[in-house]
Amino acid sequence: MASYFVAVATISLIYMLLAMGLNLQYGHTGLINFGHVAFFAAGAYASALLSLAGWPLPASFLAAMIVAALLAWPIGLLALRLADDYLAIVTLGFSETLRIVLQEEGWLTGGVQGLPGIPGLFAGLGPDARGLATLGALALCNAVAFLLLRHLVRSPYGRLIRAIRDDQTAVQALGKSAARPKTRMFMLGAMLAGLAGAFYAHFIAFLSPEQFVPLVTFYVWIAVIIGGAGSMAGAAAGSVLLLAFLEGSRFLRDALPGVSEIQMASVRLAVVGLALILCMLYRPQGLFGRRKG
Amino acid sequence: MLSLSGISKHYGGLRVVDDVALEVPERGLVGLVGTNGAGKSTLFAIACGQIEADAGSVSFGGVDVTRMPARRRARLGLGRTFQVPREFASLTVLENLLAAAPRRHGESLWSVYAQWPRTVREERRLRDEAQRWLRFLNLQGVADSPAGGLSGGQKKLLELGRVLMLSPKAILLDEPFAGVNPVLIAQIADRIRELNRERGMAFLVIEHHLEALGELADRLYVMDQGRVIAQGGPAAVLADPRVHEAYMGGVV
Repeated sequence: MASYFVAVATISLIYMLLAMGLNLQYGHTGLINFGHVAFFAAGAYASALLSLAGWPLPASFLAAMIVAALLAWPIGLLALRLADDYLAIVTLGFSETLRIVLQEEGWLTGGVQGLPGIPGLFAGLGPDARGLATLGALALCNAVAFLLLRHLVRSPYGRLIRAIRDDQTAVQALGKSAARPKTRMFMLGAMLAGLAGAFYAHFIAFLSPEQFVPLVTFYVWIAVIIGGAGSMAGAAAGSVLLLAFLEGSRFLRDALPGVSEIQMASVRLAVVGLALILCMLYRPQGLFGRRKG
Repeated sequence: MLSLSGISKHYGGLRVVDDVALEVPERGLVGLVGTNGAGKSTLFAIACGQIEADAGSVSFGGVDVTRMPARRRARLGLGRTFQVPREFASLTVLENLLAAAPRRHGESLWSVYAQWPRTVREERRLRDEAQRWLRFLNLQGVADSPAGGLSGGQKKLLELGRVLMLSPKAILLDEPFAGVNPVLIAQIADRIRELNRERGMAFLVIEHHLEALGELADRLYVMDQGRVIAQGGPAAVLADPRVHEAYMGGVV
């Protein structure tokens, strides 16, 4: 049971990194990224493949972040000149394209058979200590990312990106570029997703393309919306709540007799959906968000 | 200061602006009036670089800016406001002005993380400047309120305040009195006059509100169906029968 909780906590913290990245993009800069999972996948595969090729893990983690950020760069240049809803379509299409590439390029990624035997973090420790150490490393990364991002969003630069979110035309009329900060924030958010991907790869030890379906993107969206878009604490709390719902609903089975294992998966999704609807009805700004107007 | 010559713009077969010349002299306060569809908003958008003309040229401070985007014109000192205010709604009034400050050191990732003390010093200096403008515009009482909650007239003042942070040489105002109560209209007109006289800022003001503009501007242009039909001192222009015909639809 203890290792189950460590595993759930690890996944929560991985989602927290993803949510912080998306919150920076959507909550602060107003970029509608429906392809967040692509950068998660890129980080996961980059770090997994490099570590399997013999790279030390700290180097492969760093590479995962850089690969994810560089992947975001051309999307940023191409799509950030488009209106918000087009960016949503472009990113969604991009993430599905990347998933199919991962599936088809078997010589590199193992294709549908997947990529097994990815080395775990802290291999020198025993199984229990290893889980805790991984959790600790993740917590540290989350804390560092949280503090760095909080400093950023409270700085003049953070004010500029919120101004761009509120009215890009006005920013340009004041003589400032909106495209460059948007590209930067898109890359920074992708970098966090890449880091989350690296942790995920070395925690799960096995990667396959169907782990990176659009549903993952929308789970992160749910976390950001429930927590409160634009709020640093909200993104963190939203991820914990999301995982509490996803995992807690497992235990609903005891309360719901006559529901089969397969039906249960749908029940869990329904619970998450219901929570989101109730959140939108009674607290549209999210748990930590500021009420608009 | 700002000079437009031979400006034309077509949309499909429709001539929205037809060979228009307009001059805003240094320290000038020029008004541009016309009915809906007269082409003045299009001309305004061409002047500030939001859209490009099909023909003609725009120069600002002796520089040919015809092909220059709005962003670069603003950096040269050409500020503008919007007909429907485009405030940064979730930022406070003070933050709106701070976000407008040009050439900010603190607006780069490098300076946020590596040169923080310098960023803080700059922030303090700009805060003082922004507070001065807020007092000038009588907005100091709402400095810390979200801009989205201001009244229409206050938003117009806020937009003016944002432009003032650019230390502009000329300001283009798009219907500064539209939807503003009479008390605030007098206040806005007063501030424009003061900026023009005391600080030598040139203005081009588009307005429906003929009366307010006639009192304010030292030169008026009247547009109808894409052409300038009258120009000159406000008294002469407002007495011009052609203006009455165009403006009142020939009723007078």
